Amino acid sequence: MIGEQQILELLRRVAGRSPAERTELVFIGGRSGLTRYAKSAIHQNVSEEDTLVYLRVAEGKRLGVVTVNKLEEEELVRAAAQALELAQRQPENPFFEDFPQPSSYQKTETYFGTTAEFTPAARSETMKKIFAQAARMGFEVSGAFSSGEGEVAVVNSNGVAAYQPVSHAEINVVPISSEGMSRSGAFSHDVKSIDFERVAAKALERCALNRNQQELPLGQYDVILEPGCLAEVMMWMGFIAFGSNAFIEGRSFLAGKLGERSMGENITIYDSFLEPEAQGLPFDFQGSPRQKVELIERGINRGVVFDSLSANQAKVQPTGHGLPPGNPYGAIPLNVCLQPGESSLEQMIASCERGLLVSNFHYVNGFLDPKKAVMTGMTRYGTFLVEGGKIKHAVKNLRWTESMLRAFSNVQAISREREVMGDEAVGFAIMPAVYIKDWTFTGVQKE
Amino acid sequence: MQTKEWLKAALDDLSRSGVEYADGRHLDRETERITVRNEQVAGLSRKSNSGFGIRVLYKGSWGFAASSRATEADVMRTARHALEVAKASHLTQREAVKLDGSRPQIGSYSSQFAVDPFDVPLDNKLELLFSALKILRQDKRIGVAEGSMNFFRTKKLFVSTEGAEISQSILESGAGIEATAMGDGDVQTRSYPTSHGGDYAARGYEFVQSLSLVENAEPTREAALALLAAEPCPAGTKDLIIDSSQLVLQVHESCGHPTELDRALGTEISYAGGSFLTPDKLGDYRYGSKIVNIYGDATVPDSIGSFGYDDEGVPAQRFPIIQEGMFVGYLTSRETAPVLGLMSSGAMRAESWNHIPLIRMININLEPGDQNLSLEDLVADTQDGILVATNKSWSIDDLRLNFQFGCEIAWEIKNGKRVRVLKNPVYTGITPQFWGSCDAICGRSEWRVWGLPNCGKGEPPQTMHVAHGTAPARFRNIEVGVSK
Repeated sequence: MIGEQQILELLRRVAGRSPAERTELVFIGGRSGLTRYAKSAIHQNVSEEDTLVYLRVAEGKRLGVVTVNKLEEEELVRAAAQALELAQRQPENPFFEDFPQPSSYQKTETYFGTTAEFTPAARSETMKKIFAQAARMGFEVSGAFSSGEGEVAVVNSNGVAAYQPVSHAEINVVPISSEGMSRSGAFSHDVKSIDFERVAAKALERCALNRNQQELPLGQYDVILEPGCLAEVMMWMGFIAFGSNAFIEGRSFLAGKLGERSMGENITIYDSFLEPEAQGLPFDFQGSPRQKVELIERGINRGVVFDSLSANQAKVQPTGHGLPPGNPYGAIPLNVCLQPGESSLEQMIASCERGLLVSNFHYVNGFLDPKKAVMTGMTRYGTFLVEGGKIKHAVKNLRWTESMLRAFSNVQAISREREVMGDEAVGFAIMPAVYIKDWTFTGVQKE
Repeated sequence: MQTKEWLKAALDDLSRSGVEYADGRHLDRETERITVRNEQVAGLSRKSNSGFGIRVLYKGSWGFAASSRATEADVMRTARHALEVAKASHLTQREAVKLDGSRPQIGSYSSQFAVDPFDVPLDNKLELLFSALKILRQDKRIGVAEGSMNFFRTKKLFVSTEGAEISQSILESGAGIEATAMGDGDVQTRSYPTSHGGDYAARGYEFVQSLSLVENAEPTREAALALLAAEPCPAGTKDLIIDSSQLVLQVHESCGHPTELDRALGTEISYAGGSFLTPDKLGDYRYGSKIVNIYGDATVPDSIGSFGYDDEGVPAQRFPIIQEGMFVGYLTSRETAPVLGLMSSGAMRAESWNHIPLIRMININLEPGDQNLSLEDLVADTQDGILVATNKSWSIDDLRLNFQFGCEIAWEIKNGKRVRVLKNPVYTGITPQFWGSCDAICGRSEWRVWGLPNCGKGEPPQTMHVAHGTAPARFRNIEVGVSK
């Protein structure tokens, strides 16, 4: 870790020496390690340290971006001059007014020294225990365990100076038998908060159920989707529906339809960096304060996320969801949450006369018909037939093709408990389990 | 180059510390990305990125460490950290890694180009893109017109404790345009020359010029508008003709990925998945019909799937994967090939300095058919079928068996003629059944290599530039139109 003072001073000095009218610097740096294992042995083990600095400069309404992965002051000043040269050769961006002004940010707890100090040997020792735990049940496990620390800082010539240290620990445990697989995982900024034995036990217990898979006829089934399924769907929803560009360009189902109903009354989807289960960055990559944004409220289309440029284009206020400079994607929600309900996974299974319990999805794609949020994907890591309120047996993985607008209009129950699924340090989804009527299955995994 | 000497000194230090093998890679990459949308520059950035990574094999266990700080002290410190990581891996070792006997190489490689895109003034690039977009936007129903260009210059150095010393320089260029038409609550996109950012080659700016983006803007716009008025592709079982650009995705997902030997051996199972092409099937499994021949080939000129040496220092090779429909070969590495008694096929590639090499696709090419059929010959020979073009969506299961692809556009074929445009075409199938139904592949004149710069694999995720040579082909009795 370089530290807040040293990073902010360096970025301020470069902003002060930049030849451009206005200058913004985004720093993303840190070190991280990742241990991958298969068949209960480590087969890849990597460690890296890097520092990226994005320099975005403005000359009038012209913008230029240069990115370097060096920290020498002279190199950064040279990069600012290159960014200015790029800006001067571009047409004006009518939606650019200024970089954000200084703000105060909410405090979030995203850094834990114990996570930062977690060594490759500590990851290996953790894995040894999980391998032994799996062996006692006759399984081998595959997966990955990563940990690391980083720093994010944004400085601009208006006086913005934002800094946030982050740490992350994430584990993915996939037990494998000759008959099937399962998965369980955990994500936290604090490695000490992860109960590794419990994570492994959950996956092992599910793997024991995933045997003697039978093929089911295709068609519509009630489904109980566990949180991992929804995290993948919501990642796509962020891209095709809840982002600024999809909305402004009319590709999103929310475009021109704010205030209209698109989902059931029991569905509320929002983006929030400050939840009881997890906390994220309190500012975006432009230094704007990150806000909680209602995307769908009780089934009604409420809004999407914006950065400063896309907000000007849409004539609304920015929500603090800017991505690192130079990208063409506009603003994207990074912390999508589905509001919990009152049910539990056990209650959903008990209430299901005939349906499928789905542990995870695989390879979801949301480009089929974005206006209707039609997606396809496979089930993975355990799909089970539920009859008369009980899990009857495992079934072969199935392909599904379904409109998420239709599906989220058919939600019968939502669990109280939610799970955090992380993506390194700053992105996460917090999802409950849901019971959905009449989900459409269109194919099966077979040779 | 100082870094080379520091890397060699660090490898010597590791050898003295008892490692059986180590290699060091330094990479320096310059990138320019331009995206224009309607009348604006939506994204424009230049990036320079460099650093080094050191891979260590200690008592049969791997460790890897990488840093963007490349002073002499940092190189030595990072090498020692890589050894620490390898020692941590060793704590759980069940079987020691053994490398094949590939001979260490000393050499260099450079891709060829005529015009360095980094020397072309930005004004010229923007003018070309905006000229194409102006034509795309001549109809008000085109809500979004987009164009992009991307350029990469990569300089790599590889040294190993076995004495390898390789330098490579690769320049890549890519570009494309797309028109999104909107009306009556519908959104339809048509792109040129293909979707997801266009086509890519290991050439200079002359490749972008050869794409004739401006000249192809009008037909692209008209196709997008035609899709707005088109009927959806009806569901049913049809003979399916797949154009060259969509067949790229089909080869990529249903042949390229399942023939990566690390997947087949189970080391990718918990993330991207495994493979139905397990080692017991090698040489004795019918993957497709007798006319299906697929090669791995890292020597194709001007392709982004080509190089001189892979990131383990193994020379580029050409080898069969599917021969007359039979599964005969894998993409392999120095670690995995000996498991099957083979030598590496030279397919280990790392996205950058901070990634370890993994088995990645190179150019995975479907060979053209024997008879010199054109696409129109194939249409004329089809009584009741669907012709699909240009990828829109993709999904395949974790063993690479059940797939579903969506395309931008389709044409209904009746009695050997295209009779109408159809929108939202989707087709689905099971890989060996699907390739088993292939009864015609167009000839060399229709064969083309397409660059695909966004193949994802591994943890942490790595994005690789790969390519596929394909010609349009026909598949009998395929399920189409399953989209809800």
